[in-house]
Amino acid sequence: MPVFTGAGKPMRNKIKVFRAMHDLTQEHLAQVIGVNRQTILAIEKGKYVPSLDLAFRIARHFGVSIEEIFMYDDEEQAGQVK
Amino acid sequence: MKKNTFYLIVGCTAIALVGLFWYSDVVRMPLLIEVAFIVAVAIIYLLRRRVTDLKEDERDVKITEQAVLRTMQVFWVVFCAFSIGAVMQLLRAPAFPRGFPPGPPPILPELLSPRLIGFVQLGLLSLMIFLYVGFRIYYAGIYGGWETDEE
Repeated sequence: MPVFTGAGKPMRNKIKVFRAMHDLTQEHLAQVIGVNRQTILAIEKGKYVPSLDLAFRIARHFGVSIEEIFMYDDEEQAGQVK
Repeated sequence: MKKNTFYLIVGCTAIALVGLFWYSDVVRMPLLIEVAFIVAVAIIYLLRRRVTDLKEDERDVKITEQAVLRTMQVFWVVFCAFSIGAVMQLLRAPAFPRGFPPGPPPILPELLSPRLIGFVQLGLLSLMIFLYVGFRIYYAGIYGGWETDEE
């Protein structure tokens, strides 16, 4: 389920994909990032939108930009159409 | 300090407070339990900082913030409604001058007896705790607190 931000636009993320690519469990990623496993799970499920700081930490851990992991729902759909 | 040790200390403190509550009632010294309560909460806050395996991240902070905000939003209305009743009692002051020679001071009708105020305060305290716990559970659910899946 996409989570709604303050702007009212639902957001999605690809943390699960990047985790799979790096062969990381939620627990391991949570430890590295410095949050609880429940937080990683909530972000993946779209229940919680992380702060800019946490988003940066996640993106930097995977060595990509924030936009590659977090995107608005309509942006992802537009990307799939292209 | 480990998390479980902290919880154990909190439990022991709570039991000690109940004992002190009983004792202060026996010796008729409400100040004793009032001071003890403040000291106990201060100690718990200080000890909580020393817990090493109790991780509170930004999602936990968000849940706490939302729960506190909603609790306050409901609680201040209930509290003000009760306070307005108490202010009504203040407004029933004797009118001056009472004429000459002044008669005996008028007996004011009591809207809220001290005993009733105690019960109402107990109710308000319970309401606040129930509201906070309820909102915490609600927002933990909103922010994915009960999801359990793993890859």
